[in-house]
Amino acid sequence: MLRFLVRRTGESLLLILGVLVLVFFMVRLTGDPVGLMLPKEAPPEQRAAFAAAMGLDRPLPVQFAEYMTGVFRGDLGDSLRQRRPTIEIIGERLPATLELALAALAFAMIVAVPLGLAGGMRPGSGLDLAARGVGLAGQTIPNFWLGMLLIVFFSVQLGWFPSFGRDGPASLVLPAVALGFAGMGQLVRLTRSAVLEVRKSDYIRTARAKGIRERVVSLRHVLPNVAIPIVSVIGIQFTYLLGGSVYIEVVFAWPGLGTLLETAIRDTDFPLVQSITIFLSLFAISIHLATDLVYGLIDPRLRLS
Amino acid sequence: MTHRTLRTLLAAVLAALIALPAAFAQESEDELVVALSSDPTSLFMPRTSDRTASNAAWSLFDSLVWIDDAGEIVPALATDWTVSDDGTEYVFELRQDVVFHNGEPFDAASVIATWETGKDDSNDYADSYAAADLVEAIDDHTVRITTPEPNATFLTLMANDWAMVPPEYIAEVGLDAFAQDPVGTGPFRFVSRTAGDRIVMEANPDYWDEGLPKVDRLVYRVIPDASTRLAAIRTGDIDIANRLTADQVSVLEGEEDVEVISYLNDRVYYVAFKNIGAGVGTPLEDARVRQALNYGLDRFGINQAIFSGQANAAPGFIVEGNLGYDADLMEPFPYDPERARELLAEAGYPDGFEISMGCPADGYININEVCQAIASSLGGIGVDVEVDFQTTNAYWSEAQYAVTGPMYVDSWSSEFGEALPRLDGALTPGNYYTTWEDEKFASLIEEIESEVDREARAALYVEMHELMREDPPFIYLYQPVIFEAVDADLVGYQPRAAEEYFLRSVGFAD
Amino acid sequence: MSDPDTNAHSGEGLFSPRRLLRDLRGSPAGLAGLVLITVIAGAALFAPWVAPYGPSDADFLAARIPPAWHPEGSTAHLLGTDQLGQDLFSRIVYGARVSLLVGVLGVSVSLTIGVTLGLLAGYFGGWLDTVVTAFTNLLLSIPYLVLVIVIATILGRSLTNVILLFGVTSSPVFIRVTRGEVLRLRQLSYVEAARGLGASAGRIIPRHLLPNLIGPLATLATFETSAMIFYEAGLGFLGLSVPPQVPSWGNMLALGRRFLTTQPWMAIFPGLAIALTTLGINLLGDWLRDAIDPRSGEG
Repeated sequence: MLRFLVRRTGESLLLILGVLVLVFFMVRLTGDPVGLMLPKEAPPEQRAAFAAAMGLDRPLPVQFAEYMTGVFRGDLGDSLRQRRPTIEIIGERLPATLELALAALAFAMIVAVPLGLAGGMRPGSGLDLAARGVGLAGQTIPNFWLGMLLIVFFSVQLGWFPSFGRDGPASLVLPAVALGFAGMGQLVRLTRSAVLEVRKSDYIRTARAKGIRERVVSLRHVLPNVAIPIVSVIGIQFTYLLGGSVYIEVVFAWPGLGTLLETAIRDTDFPLVQSITIFLSLFAISIHLATDLVYGLIDPRLRLS
Repeated sequence: MTHRTLRTLLAAVLAALIALPAAFAQESEDELVVALSSDPTSLFMPRTSDRTASNAAWSLFDSLVWIDDAGEIVPALATDWTVSDDGTEYVFELRQDVVFHNGEPFDAASVIATWETGKDDSNDYADSYAAADLVEAIDDHTVRITTPEPNATFLTLMANDWAMVPPEYIAEVGLDAFAQDPVGTGPFRFVSRTAGDRIVMEANPDYWDEGLPKVDRLVYRVIPDASTRLAAIRTGDIDIANRLTADQVSVLEGEEDVEVISYLNDRVYYVAFKNIGAGVGTPLEDARVRQALNYGLDRFGINQAIFSGQANAAPGFIVEGNLGYDADLMEPFPYDPERARELLAEAGYPDGFEISMGCPADGYININEVCQAIASSLGGIGVDVEVDFQTTNAYWSEAQYAVTGPMYVDSWSSEFGEALPRLDGALTPGNYYTTWEDEKFASLIEEIESEVDREARAALYVEMHELMREDPPFIYLYQPVIFEAVDADLVGYQPRAAEEYFLRSVGFAD
Repeated sequence: MSDPDTNAHSGEGLFSPRRLLRDLRGSPAGLAGLVLITVIAGAALFAPWVAPYGPSDADFLAARIPPAWHPEGSTAHLLGTDQLGQDLFSRIVYGARVSLLVGVLGVSVSLTIGVTLGLLAGYFGGWLDTVVTAFTNLLLSIPYLVLVIVIATILGRSLTNVILLFGVTSSPVFIRVTRGEVLRLRQLSYVEAARGLGASAGRIIPRHLLPNLIGPLATLATFETSAMIFYEAGLGFLGLSVPPQVPSWGNMLALGRRFLTTQPWMAIFPGLAIALTTLGINLLGDWLRDAIDPRSGEG
């Protein structure tokens, strides 16, 4: 087990290193911060002096070496635009994105799990049809478009919810629904098929044959068995939601990592784009590693693969 | 799970969702809420990389002099000033009773600190502070500022950029912390900032200009999307929504709580030609071709279609509101496709030619449509324009400027009330964005720059206009109109031609 | 597919067009998907005949007209017009071309890269496998959307770039599936037997491996096509996809968003087109997956 743990952790570290290299050089190709930051009338001398002051005039390998030295000291660099540590900026925006992603996940689960259970328990029923419909809708409706529809209907027409910003619980509703919609679809499908699978198994059939009431069957026997695949998907869902929040945050002017990333790219704020990307990758890699380790604990055969 | 439990659950969820809007806070009358179209990168003036940021920062700071609504330089933190005969030395008398928000007194040391922190190479607006050679204290409340050569626009530049900062506080906390928690002498004090979301300020009770500001609290909210700003002003969530388009404000007609204001922006949109790089050896080198392109472009039609007729067709680089502008002398090129065809034929291109035109996709309001309209309009005189859309990141980079074109779409604003910044920036050889090099333009610009007399400068602008008309280095497109929507009870809000505004005397009618 | 050898040994060679078509008749959802896709693809193909106007025919005097059923609508423009007075219905019809092109060509690029690298890595193993796996893991560990946005910013706006972008960034999934299948198939007795008899890779791969990959890859390719149409729209929405003058659904959404609170139809209809297209592809994909591997179905 220890060997498995060490190997997987080592692999993850290598992966992180790879991401650092790839992202550093990729981001450097997205534009020219000097041209975008300085006023148009800035003379050539000022441009040169500015580039030098910001360290942008040195050869890329030198910049990279410096960056890596910083990374090992836990310093991911300062934002070109805001002139302060990118980690600090990410730290300020993270709560908003976490809040949105968690709310989206909660919304997805609250709708999806009961609906999936109900649909799976009675295939072919009206609820099952609804479950399949929701599952399909989650897959086919683009979340940013849904966000726009929600604004048109619930903000502009009905005036129930604010159309932008993070301003109390009411402002969370529409973005959370839009962001959670796709995950909801996936969860409904998953729950439903897991229930169908479990229902086919012998002991449920036995339980039912013994005359145990349907509700008891579903709560006591089906739910625990369905929980495992659902929980395993939630970790992956959550990483997806963090990355996928870019569109939704842009649509709703939500002050999180997504809008930060969008403006950072537009502003060619290299260090900031880099740090956001690395932060999100790190998150994904960690979740992946954690899932693997947990599975490794549960099922020793997996350690070999 | 039965139908009933499920239904109860769904009902509970729905009920919770519907109940939530009640949690909305009421907006108080003494609070002014202003939309910002982007999140300011910094509130430290030399690093405010765009107009939105500097507008927000000016609520916290003051300058030595101001420009009033009539365009005159008036006293602010300086009560009086004199200029030496050779025009290179300014002596300012400073106001005596002013303190910063943290209690630090405002004096000559503040002016020196402002200049020294401002001219650092890493600042976006370093150039504006570097315009002074030397800033020295004569006594605690008198400073002398020296410029390397006579500079006709030095006071304007000070009014626009030199926000007075507290030296002791900066020495104590450092510049980075200062930018996070800025302290000025301005009408409002910094309270808090939530990145990407809002900046909160409160009235400075000790403000030196008595009776100001008019509101107790000032909140800036970041709303990048124009249609969202429009929705927010309609619901009353904000009091000032700027940067709207003509068709957006048209839906506000008849709404009692909202007032629409509009004003001409001191900005010129144009298609630049190149006679260097990609422009060498192209038909553009012939002045008749460049004239033909100006005659052959239906700028009036484009204006009508894309801006609901609300923009001004630009006569040149000197436009309405600029020093030297004269409506009688300066008329836009008429739309005359026949004349255009004749000129093309004279130049040896009776069947037109093919040419590539760069365009900054989404770089400005409606610019994508404008670029397509230019191509279709010039197609009418046989010039086949291939529009090369680029993302703005790439567009305004040195590397891109070297290869784009030989024609490209751009725009240039000015906050001076004069066309000088765009003339100098786009026509002085060696400058970053100068792609049309011609000695006759360069020397005249130099003359304007060093002419301290306003009247004489105005005459030189007229001369410049005529030169740029006969031998046009650009296709002149339009001068836009800015639309804003504000709370109908708002008083004292007066945005200016470069979209700058000051909130110190803005309040609500009773 | 007609190779009896493969069918006999693999137990999976259910990928016969005749069989699939027969299956389809029993699946109303799959049939609906097929009809939807046929209609949309047909509209794309015959756009000049289907659309009443050209995609860029601007009529400035008829800008921002609401859909025909609206009191202020006009029968001349079924779904209304945008702010240049271009007919929305016509642009949506032409937009189908862009979306389908991105989806189909993008997936082709992904498939080509994925199958090639996956086969090589899975079959030969060794350092080649290590390199390919590392590449796959690297791309998969950067959040997909972020990766796509950064690369799109670098590449700039053109149709070819968008296709290549999605083709390359989506290839890791294809590599993984191909490699996994190949690793599994390699251990099957008939493949081992063939190798034992001295058959070369050049013979085993096309005869024994490729046919067995078609099933799982067909399903994956179907779902990826809809994912790419989705992502292209998303990029367009952020202003990073094909050039603005190209009538793509993403570009139309980006434009429509500016008029969202005043002329919502400009955003609603292009989004609806995206939803219907992905719906059709997904219905078809669900059915295809069930038909190829009945066990994986959802009942």
